[in-house]
Amino acid sequence: MSVATAQPRGSMARSRGSAAPALAHYDPMLLLVAGALLAIGVMMVASASMPQGMRAGEPLRFVERHLFALVLGLAGAVGAWFTSMARWERWSTWLYFLGLGLLALVFVPGLGREANGAMRWVGVGPLSLQTSEFMKLFVVLYMAGYVVRHKFSVVFEMKGFVRPMLLLLMACGLIMLQPDFGTTTVLLATAFGMLFLAGARLWQFGVLILCAAGALAALVYVSPYRMARVTSFLNPWEQARDAGYQLTQALIAFGRGEWTGVGLGNGIQKQFYLPEAHTDFVMAVIGEEFGLLGSLVIVLLFGLFVWRAFAIGARAERRGARFAAFVSYGVGLWIGMQAFINIGVNMGLLPTKGLTLPFISYGSNSLIACCIAVGLLARVHRENSEAGDAKEGKWQRA
Amino acid sequence: MIGHDDKQDSRQDYRGRRRLVLGVLALAGAGLVARAVDLHVLNKEFLQGQGAARYLRVVEEPAHRGMITDRFGEPLAISTPVDSVWANPQELIQQREQWAALARALGMPRTDLERLLAARRDKEFVYLRRRVNPDMARRVAALEIPGVALAPEYRRFYPAGEVTAHVVGFTDVDDAGQEGMELALDDRLRGVPGAKRVIKDRLGRIVESVERVREPQPGEDVALSIDRRLQYLAYRELKAAVRKNRADAGSAVILDVHTGEVLAMVNQPAYNPNNRGKLKRSHLRNRAVTDVFEPGSTIKPITVAAALETGRFNAHTPVDTRPGYFRVGRKTIRDFRNYGLIDVSTVIQKSSNVGASKLALSLSPETLWKAYASVGLGESTGSGFPGESGGLLTDFGGWHDIQRATVSYGYGMSVTTLQLARAYAALAGDGRPLPVSFTRRSAAEAAELAALYEPVLSVSSLRAVRRMMERVVAKGGTGTRAAVPGYRIAGKTGTVKKSGAGGYVEDSYIAVFAGLAPASAPRLAMVVMIDEPRGEKYYGGAVAAPVFGKVMAGALRLLDIPPDDIPSMPGQRLALLRANGGGGQ
Repeated sequence: MSVATAQPRGSMARSRGSAAPALAHYDPMLLLVAGALLAIGVMMVASASMPQGMRAGEPLRFVERHLFALVLGLAGAVGAWFTSMARWERWSTWLYFLGLGLLALVFVPGLGREANGAMRWVGVGPLSLQTSEFMKLFVVLYMAGYVVRHKFSVVFEMKGFVRPMLLLLMACGLIMLQPDFGTTTVLLATAFGMLFLAGARLWQFGVLILCAAGALAALVYVSPYRMARVTSFLNPWEQARDAGYQLTQALIAFGRGEWTGVGLGNGIQKQFYLPEAHTDFVMAVIGEEFGLLGSLVIVLLFGLFVWRAFAIGARAERRGARFAAFVSYGVGLWIGMQAFINIGVNMGLLPTKGLTLPFISYGSNSLIACCIAVGLLARVHRENSEAGDAKEGKWQRA
Repeated sequence: MIGHDDKQDSRQDYRGRRRLVLGVLALAGAGLVARAVDLHVLNKEFLQGQGAARYLRVVEEPAHRGMITDRFGEPLAISTPVDSVWANPQELIQQREQWAALARALGMPRTDLERLLAARRDKEFVYLRRRVNPDMARRVAALEIPGVALAPEYRRFYPAGEVTAHVVGFTDVDDAGQEGMELALDDRLRGVPGAKRVIKDRLGRIVESVERVREPQPGEDVALSIDRRLQYLAYRELKAAVRKNRADAGSAVILDVHTGEVLAMVNQPAYNPNNRGKLKRSHLRNRAVTDVFEPGSTIKPITVAAALETGRFNAHTPVDTRPGYFRVGRKTIRDFRNYGLIDVSTVIQKSSNVGASKLALSLSPETLWKAYASVGLGESTGSGFPGESGGLLTDFGGWHDIQRATVSYGYGMSVTTLQLARAYAALAGDGRPLPVSFTRRSAAEAAELAALYEPVLSVSSLRAVRRMMERVVAKGGTGTRAAVPGYRIAGKTGTVKKSGAGGYVEDSYIAVFAGLAPASAPRLAMVVMIDEPRGEKYYGGAVAAPVFGKVMAGALRLLDIPPDDIPSMPGQRLALLRANGGGGQ
């Protein structure tokens, strides 16, 4: 019986696809994963922000803002989906410079807004624009355009590697001034990843790694105190009252979660014990309320997302759409890396950095940028499908 | 690998590198999974322990203090749950901008709040205001100031207020008995506080109760022997009399003759235990048990009973009180006027000091002393009331003529109002002074206690003395205003010169009336003492006797005690005779 019903359903989908081609070119896995992450995000922001909202007298204050940002994000995603990759390619360089300009705006007196000791926002009336979130998107687009334009230079010449680095360093410098080490890390890692995938020579990365090691050594030598702060994550229990406070509270949250968690809304750590429970440390709240099961689902969803991004990219590369391919890789690297760092920070594997968990954390700018990234992936998938290499099938390898 | 890639044409993608990148990301994901298992499963005991140390707290749950009721269960002291406002100074100190609103909600000056916080800035707990009314608690809670919270407590209310204040007493701010029966019965009334484990948020507010560590055990409800109706009656009449006679103070006590229970005990001045804000220390005193005075003529019935007991006297034995005074050593004992040659009965009726002295001098010091001691003078009443005084009855070894003479009419010894009431209860019964009880006592218990005493004064002597005391209230007696229509009252007035530093003070008296009713088969013993009446009249018969009369009239009716003075109500004679089964005269 199930076979009998499956048959007409399949044919119906096909016939509808031919009637409206665009609708058939969704990647169901991608949209399912992104939708699941966004839904979990709304739920967890609601749960994690409730104590703080109640204290302010508006229990739903953060969820409402989150939902508003989600609407904007979905609009952005649809917009991205309707914009051809060719157009994105033409815009990519200009968008990058626009991003640099916006980053500089943060430091214009009267426009920049400070929070938690960092100048990260540009105020426009009631709205706050966190330009560094969008800069991740722009860097992906710029780097994709760069490796396409300088395909051989990237592979064979020194300047092919150094030139984008210089522009990238400008952005990084501006972001470091805010200061925002987390975003800088994600930006650089994404750009390196893209250069690596474009064929840049390995010894260049070796040099970079050596430079980074040297810088780290210098830091230890110049200010061991700062170093100690950075490495405090290695043993947070020794400083549980100051430097390690936030991390210990996050770790307690995971421990309380056990296998399946204490249940949605029942977490205790968000009751003012865990700072930034609904933003950077939302993963700890998930871990407490849904346990190991919840943590594994989140890691799995991000894994699937990265896999889809690379699969879509690989398909584009095979059909020769290299810009589309590198945008896909870039989005995959960015989201994957940021999720890894955020979860790693929450679990005490990495030093504490101010980074959101993509799709889930409260934070309008991050949410909107992530939604647009999904829109880009969907667009690439659509163009892949329209290019008609249907014979490879939908579930090709990455 | 690079060399190989270099030779590829432009269509060749770097599939190997892509796989490497995905592999690295997959490894990173695997690392997260491993760490997740580590935290969620392997380290959960440690982490949960750390968490528990931060948010699990054991808080005390106040236990309900037992209720104090009168003998019929009418509440005299009850505990109701209220909230106290407390703060974590370390948290609240950071909310400076909220202080003004908080101080307003608490109804205290801001400076007081600041002082409180400054004094406890290093601590984590300070009461801002205890036992606030529900309205104030709501207002404070609505401010939602971090570091400020409410704690449940109990507040004590005294429904009868001033009327039972001295007997019931009160508790302090920590719910511990401070005065009166609240203090005496504290062990029974006090509950055992419970403890519960709770989860607190970081602001110190209780988010969730986890478990009861110990169930709070409520204290026991205790019924006092007090009859609230009699208590109110006595309070009303005493207060009116103290005011009318512009007296300093006063006390009144009613005892149940058969059980030794205190049915009523009031004092003036009194206080409202519900509002002790501006309270004079002296008003707290339960004068009826703590303050002693010389009983004066009210002691004469015992003197006479002791004389009767020798068998050498009866009610009609003549006593020569002429010429109205009598020298003993260097002291002259005087009567109010010259009563002439009278009988023993008249010594009581007219309250002749000369007569009483002559009777006393005919007895050995030991005989006399034993009579007084046998009705409980000079010893505590056994009530267990905090701060009770035992009065004074010196040893008869030092009793020469002059001492024997003065003691016979109530000087040179001291009693409390309660002690005197107990002595009269003994006169009213079989001469055995039951220990006084403020809590309910059954007839069986009373009988058991009575068996411990060896009466000195015989039943027949006591009956004879009671008949003499009836004449005090009858026409020609000193206490006619103590009379209660329909009942036979036996009593004795007393007007005592107050002693101060260096001897007796002129124009300073204590007016006393002690009596029992109904005289045919006494049920109640009552003493009224009024300290320093400043009106025109200061005699016990004029000042204290009317209080006795009014209160006793009400008490006898309230207790449904059948009238025993039938001739005074001829119209009802037959009916009463039938009701009493032909008893009476």
